[in-house]
Amino acid sequence: MFITGIGRTKFGNLDKSLPELAYEAIVNAIHDSEQNIKDIDAIYVSNFLCGPLNGQLHLNSVISSLIPDLNIPILRIETACASSSVAFNQAINCGKFSNIMIVGVEKMTGPLLTPPIDAISMAGDREFDHREGLIFPASYALIAQQYMGKYDIDHSVLEDVSYLNHKNSRLNPFAHFFHKEVSRELIKKSPMIADPLNLFDCSPLSDGSVAIVLSRESHSDRDIRILASQMSTDSISLTNRKNLTSFRSTKIASKNAYNEAKIKPSDVDILEVHDCFTISELIALEDLGICGTGKACELIKSGAIEIDGSIPVNTDGGLKANGHPIGATGLAQIYEIVIQLRLEAGKRQVDSPKIGMAQNIGGVGGTCGITILGV
Amino acid sequence: MSYYCKKCNKYWNYPVENCVFCGERTYEVISTKNYVTGYTKVHVPSAGNEKVPYYIYLLEDENGIKSFKKSYEKYETGDEISPIKEINDKVKVGIVGTGLMGSQIAEHLILCRYETMLKTREEKNEKMIFSRIEKNISKGLSETEVSQYLRYLSTTTDYSDFSDCDVVIDATTENLEVKREVFKILSNTCRDTTILATNSSSISIDYISIDTPKPENCIGMHFFNPVRKMDLVEIVVGEKTSKRTKDVIIKFAKDLGKIPIMVKSSPGFIVNRLLLPQINEAAKLLEEGVASKEDIDLATKLGLNHPMGPFELADFIGIDICVSILEVLSKELKNVTIKPADILYEMVNEGKLGYKTKEGFYKY
Repeated sequence: MFITGIGRTKFGNLDKSLPELAYEAIVNAIHDSEQNIKDIDAIYVSNFLCGPLNGQLHLNSVISSLIPDLNIPILRIETACASSSVAFNQAINCGKFSNIMIVGVEKMTGPLLTPPIDAISMAGDREFDHREGLIFPASYALIAQQYMGKYDIDHSVLEDVSYLNHKNSRLNPFAHFFHKEVSRELIKKSPMIADPLNLFDCSPLSDGSVAIVLSRESHSDRDIRILASQMSTDSISLTNRKNLTSFRSTKIASKNAYNEAKIKPSDVDILEVHDCFTISELIALEDLGICGTGKACELIKSGAIEIDGSIPVNTDGGLKANGHPIGATGLAQIYEIVIQLRLEAGKRQVDSPKIGMAQNIGGVGGTCGITILGV
Repeated sequence: MSYYCKKCNKYWNYPVENCVFCGERTYEVISTKNYVTGYTKVHVPSAGNEKVPYYIYLLEDENGIKSFKKSYEKYETGDEISPIKEINDKVKVGIVGTGLMGSQIAEHLILCRYETMLKTREEKNEKMIFSRIEKNISKGLSETEVSQYLRYLSTTTDYSDFSDCDVVIDATTENLEVKREVFKILSNTCRDTTILATNSSSISIDYISIDTPKPENCIGMHFFNPVRKMDLVEIVVGEKTSKRTKDVIIKFAKDLGKIPIMVKSSPGFIVNRLLLPQINEAAKLLEEGVASKEDIDLATKLGLNHPMGPFELADFIGIDICVSILEVLSKELKNVTIKPADILYEMVNEGKLGYKTKEGFYKY
């Protein structure tokens, strides 16, 4: 299958409503593609929190009102922060349709029904973890505390991850923090959220939407080939995990994806990882086999993950600085890989990449979607 | 309002710039006439629609574009309804005083879509007050919504601008002379039917209205801080307050989403007569060294199930205000046991007035 069109909105604190954001991404994706909206056979909508945050469910019908009189099958997929890579995976696997659009959208600022911290906690386990106060940043803080103790590292490598993502976002006009100059000092001195994670270890609340057009046939030489799409799951409560410093869902989904694409980790030229918190970028690099277990710190300090490094990571700024409109995040990663592979990434263009991979996590590794794309 | 693509003959309810079918720019279509094509009367309350029954009208404009409108008024199929939002209940309200309570009442009124005229003493304050209210209501609202609500608000320095108000609420400082003067001026500048209400927390409406020719139009309307959150309004009925005045203000308070209770004009009404002696007694407990302020607050919260302790609440109200209410209470009720505790006078002298001066019983 091929990606024949991509479109997105800016990410950040935006004036537009959820349907308006989705519409902007849909129009941009159709404009980018050789195909027409009337060619689309079905739409997969990815969104996490429209119910608790925006008081709107039945999102497939909301999307239907954006494309009057088409009346095509539309459905919504929700797997927390991994919703969009899973929607992408389901669209590919449905078998029936020739041309499919996937729309990821999230509206997280403005008037909200539920405070975002409580809504986001719905991605964690309610019965055993949340009841004890384990809000989302606390889960990742616990993982960071375990990781830092196990490999004897300090907070500075997490500051490096934050700094690099913010640096890349300054080259991405669509990024949430495109206009924000972020110094190492600012990162270091930011307020504590859940020890050892401070504000700059956390991704922001963003509004935004991304749409992608898939087709079974190639329609232009700008089309990008889908080499693999895999998903895997794991138990929701952290109490059921043997190891907190690695996500089994990432390991299994990426192993299957490498097999499907018939490549090995070293063949990947560009990588997008799910850095909802800085610590998860380190864990992703290890779980994806980009470096050995406990070696992420070394890899980051070597400069390898920078735009001119051997394996550029999160060239768009990642979740940290490109932004994290949850239901659109996984598609934003795919968007970035597509423009990099098309050599249309402008100032942040990586030198002629051939294969790109995106890792999209739901919750604290309860779901993982892996996508591998190639020219 | 809707958006239209001429080429594809498609309509959107959302403000879309380009047509997704052909890519052309869309046109904004503004309805000038809306006709009722269907309606229902709803008898069951829901969030945001607590007041029942209400009507929902299905409207259609000259292009056949449909919309819904909620209203409390009865229309028939075929009636024309103006697309401009009607002003709630058509009551125009004036407020004298832009202190904490005056501006909070104004905020609440505009959020309930009442046309509101706010009077301040000096012209230079008007802009500042406007932007303060803008800031206070903007939480949780979009920019468009904020500017829509602000359209209900006007400010003035001139009492004559109250001439067409149906209700004027006095929210000036808690001082009988000031309030008497305000009521005297209002009775000269307002219509004969205008209801003059005061937000006074302890002064009798019978004294405040003494210089007005129509004391039957005067009533107390005591809101609580923070106005938007506190549901109670004490309606203080004076000796001469008319039934009409009482009925209008009860309905007005209910329309503001508040729960009105009736009380005859008497010192401190209900809430302050119960509360202030308690705060005073807590201050005396502290003076006598019986317990720490933290423990007295905890005892009140956990033992009496009050959401705030007496010292937290006193800081929030303002120590100076507590003292002035206690003075009124002890004098009027001829009760020496509720004479303000010495510590309260000391705090006022030291300028420790509570939350507003960043220090009272606690530091903020």
